[in-house]
Amino acid sequence: MEFDFGPVITYFPTLLKGLGVGSLVAVAVAFLSVVGGLVVAVISIYINKVVSWPLRFFIWLFMTTPLLLQLYFLYFGLGEWILIPAILVGILGLGFHYMAYNADIFIATIKSVSGGQYEASRSIGFGHVATIFYIIVPQAFIRAIPQLGNNMILMVKDTSVLSAIGVAELVHASQYAISVTFRPFEFFIVIALLYYVINIFMELGQAWLERQTAYRR
Amino acid sequence: MDFNLMVEVTPLLIEAAWVTIDVSARSMFFGFFVACGLVFLQSFRFAPIRWFARGYISVVRGTPYFVQLLLVFYGGPSIGVRLDPITCGVFVGAFNIGAYMSEAIRGSIESVDSGQTEAARSVGFGKVQTMVSIVLPQAAPLMIRSVGVLAIVLVKNSSLVSIISVVELTYQAQRLIGSTYKPLEIFTLSALMYIVIVYAVMGIIELAYRRATRYTTQ
Repeated sequence: MEFDFGPVITYFPTLLKGLGVGSLVAVAVAFLSVVGGLVVAVISIYINKVVSWPLRFFIWLFMTTPLLLQLYFLYFGLGEWILIPAILVGILGLGFHYMAYNADIFIATIKSVSGGQYEASRSIGFGHVATIFYIIVPQAFIRAIPQLGNNMILMVKDTSVLSAIGVAELVHASQYAISVTFRPFEFFIVIALLYYVINIFMELGQAWLERQTAYRR
Repeated sequence: MDFNLMVEVTPLLIEAAWVTIDVSARSMFFGFFVACGLVFLQSFRFAPIRWFARGYISVVRGTPYFVQLLLVFYGGPSIGVRLDPITCGVFVGAFNIGAYMSEAIRGSIESVDSGQTEAARSVGFGKVQTMVSIVLPQAAPLMIRSVGVLAIVLVKNSSLVSIISVVELTYQAQRLIGSTYKPLEIFTLSALMYIVIVYAVMGIIELAYRRATRYTTQ
């Protein structure tokens, strides 16, 4: 057992390219899942049961089944009708998965904003919709930040699963290099290390964001 | 919906669901010991041992489970670790969930007011006795809830062992989708099985929680 990190250095540009794709996916998924989660939460709380029931079912379904199964379903299911690139399926699949988790958080924080806020806002002349958007949602959003941060950290780690449906992120990028150099251990150690470094930075970022918004909570 | 197909593939999926249950249950069992070990190591007076445990937990929680699986399964042979897929899935699962579980256990033990420990010690209980008969019973309800959440995470994570060719529910579902071209039917069935497993786990947690709180007044 001797280690040779030479091949990893040779193929490091490939890994960096994978890291780039992975980061792109992560940013897109973060945007989709936070905005989508907020929309789903607002609709499922404030709009009638006919609309909100399917949304709650969607949240429940995505939270009780594994991510990989959902990805396979989307990848093979959508592939039946239209040919869309794996990266798009990956963004949608991971986005929907975390959208459900984020919506669950937003539902809890929207409900935690006290009813007095709503009444006060209405009594000084805000309409129903304006109250939701200018008074309730901003407060709920800030309260959701710690848990959203946790979810986004989990999400970044889950981008590695997308290699299973062929998204060219970090793990997928290493597959070719591994099949040529036969050095799986060295490559996966380096990949794990890269994820660990990203994770540390995300945790620092989350702590900073929480400190910045703490006085508003 | 093609119901004939659904009836036809159900036995295959049930068989695969047992593998999912088997892998998750064994990971949970061994993971519990890993977690207790980590909690124990963190109580050492000798700092490097504590640092080792903290470092282990940080690294395991900071890297994807998926990459850990690939590292041990494909990278293991080059450091002399050769495991068959199921054993590899069970052990990586155990060592992964153990890190998360040790945090849950430590958190619930620390949530018990330190006055309880001091009171027990001052009336003559030993260290071990204080832990076993005073602190742990009070930590149990919170511990059951937080470890229970991890058990559900573990069941869902077990789908990832399909990537190292363990024929469990997700692997079987993917194979069946590939051979029948009926994603909706297969997805409905396999999702239903995951839901049944998850709800069974939730039921067990609820029973344990009621038992742990049977003497507490609300």
